[in-house]
Amino acid sequence: MIQKTMKKIALIYSFRSNKTAAVAKKIKSLWEDKIHELDIETLTVEQFVEFENYILGVPTWFDGELPSYWDEFVPAMEDMDLTGRKFAIFGNGDQVNYPENFGDAVGIMAEIIESLGGTIIGYTSSKGYVFEKSQSLVGERFCGLLLDFENQPKQNEERVVSWIESLKKEFQ
Amino acid sequence: MILRKNLPFGIKQTDKVTLLHWYRLMAIGRTIDERAPNYLKQAIGWSYHAPYAGHDGIQLAIGQVFEKNKDHLFPYYRDMLTVISAGMTAEEIILNGISKATDPSSGGRHMSNHFAKPEWNIHNVSSCTGNHAQHAVGTARAMKYYNGGGVVISSQGESSLSEGYVYEAINGASNEQLPVIFVIQDNGYGISVPKHEQTANRRVADNFSGFKNLRIFHCNGKDVFDSMNTMFDAKRWVLENQKPAIVQANCVRIHSHSNSDRHELYRSDAELSYVAEYDPLAKYRRMLLRYNRATIDELNAIDEEVKQLIKDAHKKALAAPDPDPKSIMNFVVPESYSVELYPEGIHNGQGETKKLIEAINETLKAEFRLNPDTFLWGQDVANKEKGGIFNVTKGMQKEFGRQRVFNAPIAEDYIVGTANGMSRYSDKIRIVVEGAEFADYFWPAMEQLVDSSHDYWRSNGKFSPNIVIRLASGGYIGGGLYHSQNIEGALITLPGIRIVYPSFADDAAGLLRVAMRSRGITMFLEPKALYNDPRSATHVPIDFEVPFGKARIRREGSDLTIITYGNTTHLCLEAARQLHESHKIDSEIIDLRSLNPLDYNTITRSIVKTNKVLIMHEDKVFGGVGGEISAYIAENLFNHLDAPIMRVGATFTPVGFNRILEKAILPDTEKIAKKIVELFNY
Repeated sequence: MIQKTMKKIALIYSFRSNKTAAVAKKIKSLWEDKIHELDIETLTVEQFVEFENYILGVPTWFDGELPSYWDEFVPAMEDMDLTGRKFAIFGNGDQVNYPENFGDAVGIMAEIIESLGGTIIGYTSSKGYVFEKSQSLVGERFCGLLLDFENQPKQNEERVVSWIESLKKEFQ
Repeated sequence: MILRKNLPFGIKQTDKVTLLHWYRLMAIGRTIDERAPNYLKQAIGWSYHAPYAGHDGIQLAIGQVFEKNKDHLFPYYRDMLTVISAGMTAEEIILNGISKATDPSSGGRHMSNHFAKPEWNIHNVSSCTGNHAQHAVGTARAMKYYNGGGVVISSQGESSLSEGYVYEAINGASNEQLPVIFVIQDNGYGISVPKHEQTANRRVADNFSGFKNLRIFHCNGKDVFDSMNTMFDAKRWVLENQKPAIVQANCVRIHSHSNSDRHELYRSDAELSYVAEYDPLAKYRRMLLRYNRATIDELNAIDEEVKQLIKDAHKKALAAPDPDPKSIMNFVVPESYSVELYPEGIHNGQGETKKLIEAINETLKAEFRLNPDTFLWGQDVANKEKGGIFNVTKGMQKEFGRQRVFNAPIAEDYIVGTANGMSRYSDKIRIVVEGAEFADYFWPAMEQLVDSSHDYWRSNGKFSPNIVIRLASGGYIGGGLYHSQNIEGALITLPGIRIVYPSFADDAAGLLRVAMRSRGITMFLEPKALYNDPRSATHVPIDFEVPFGKARIRREGSDLTIITYGNTTHLCLEAARQLHESHKIDSEIIDLRSLNPLDYNTITRSIVKTNKVLIMHEDKVFGGVGGEISAYIAENLFNHLDAPIMRVGATFTPVGFNRILEKAILPDTEKIAKKIVELFNY
């Protein structure tokens, strides 16, 4: 069992995913000593509450929905008090084909977490993205890291590296 | 934000019995959905199957919020789980799928996957995607008028929102503030056409966001609880506010559009895998287990029970009788009102005469006084002293009120479509619509007319739209292409509707009365040039009735027969009069009055007597009703003919606006007289 005192960061995503898993792999490589990976598809409440710091991989599905595996975990989360816990969220979206709901799932998850008392960190600039609407947009910033494998794949590396650098400070 | 645990339905708060009941319904639906293609492979039937997998959440929810015999439900061809959730059995679904005589939807007459149970207000609908949205609005109008206390649910795919008639329906529901829920099951495709090629807005329901009185809900149609909560909320809102709502449910289409589609031709492996990940049933099952609301043994037991249930249903359905080929003529047109006072539609009354327009107006009023379940609408028909472009309905709104007599938007399809829908609420309702300002403008309504003409037959006699469609028809007014034409040549091709076209005031009154008392659809074509013409004025007995399919001899003669109707009856009478004086030609003139059904007996009797026949109508000769009558005569009365069947009518052109052109195109007394002489001398 991982102890809270270790201040490990739970990196939670679907192990069956492709793009999200690729990002997770990159994050893990950048922050090897702090990251503990968990599969959302088999995640239990007991595992979840062991941590205080989280990085969540939440891609946007269809016209702005949570992936099923996250959606199925929400009722469990709703019984938790997330006060004092920090969450950074990343997710894939598609600005060109889904400009009306680019990266919505990141925003949806952030809203759920905040309504349960959790703190969202890891905001990023929306500069360099072109879209119409996004539930992840707070002012001019995204409440997480949005990646676009379909249309801006070359920027993923730099965006992830930069985001992890900032998280290293924010998770202190 | 409202936490899910605080909503009416959720994995934690919904009771176990309900959760397992839903699982069972979903398992029944999915098992049949997956087995349906086998029937086609084994050549048993079900040649059209539109699989619903991926729509499970919203379809379960629609069926669960539907209260049979109180609400009305218009499912579309993908709504298998919807109707199962509403209470239809596996056996009923299979009976429909393999088109058996006991199929509750249509007795095997309508296409497979068109599920219905009219006895419960689950309506039999067209294959034209979403055209039942107009029926739903019409039903909701009746629901509101009669204080039925329910809602009307129109379920359809997102591509149907590209159809103009769906726009008309939503606009009408918004304007009339009617209790309709339009459920848009959005799976991103219209067959192979992706959503972005249908409309610019991915959230297609938001195209209607500017409509007043309309609330738009969005939900995840793949998720049972989000769908249940949204449908529950939408129904509550609609009932409380008596206004319409749209529920856009995001779904995925896990399989092809239907078994005539191959989605692998246009969807990538990645996409197919992605939508399979979304499988709502698998998600629901996972959640039941994850949250310990059911054990795997309990779910497996349900799966086994469902397998057996469907096996039994399959056996029973296979053993059910096939439709009898001898039954094809059943339920084409409902029985008409039984005329007893004037069985031949002839009277000997004398006294004050009425103009044709007065006869129609007074008959409408008389029938409205007699029957409180009568309604009238159309464009321009009810505004203070005005009652239609020709004032035929003058005074009706004043006497019968705005709820029974009202203006319709300029949307001909909506006028007819909502008449169909209102009829569905109760068989006692009788509706008169002015189908268009002029018959020439009726074409946009042909979609609903054609569909309505199918209804009685398609539902195996379970539903009859009871509508009189009035249309000001014909020329001789200098009206040109959109104010002077006749459309009966096109209408006559449609089984399932009656067509009448009177020439005189008394016949107009008698036919209208019988039409308004009958079940079924009657096209009531009014020769507008005669509305105020003294030639068409007659005495009109206050109780006069003219049965359908009874022609009237307007002039007896022995030399030749002229078969006609509408405006040209008067031209024929004048030509006959002139030729009797000048050439001693004794013409017999048959005023058909009904074009469908036709009075073959009167035609036969006259031709047997005169041996020569001229068919005369204002509509085009080519493609006109006269062609069908000619064919009948040639086939059945050939031995009685001493001359070729001759015809006079309009040229095969539109009707020109300039009076010189109109005269050249339409028949007149001179042209008729010339033909009579030719026939007489043959």
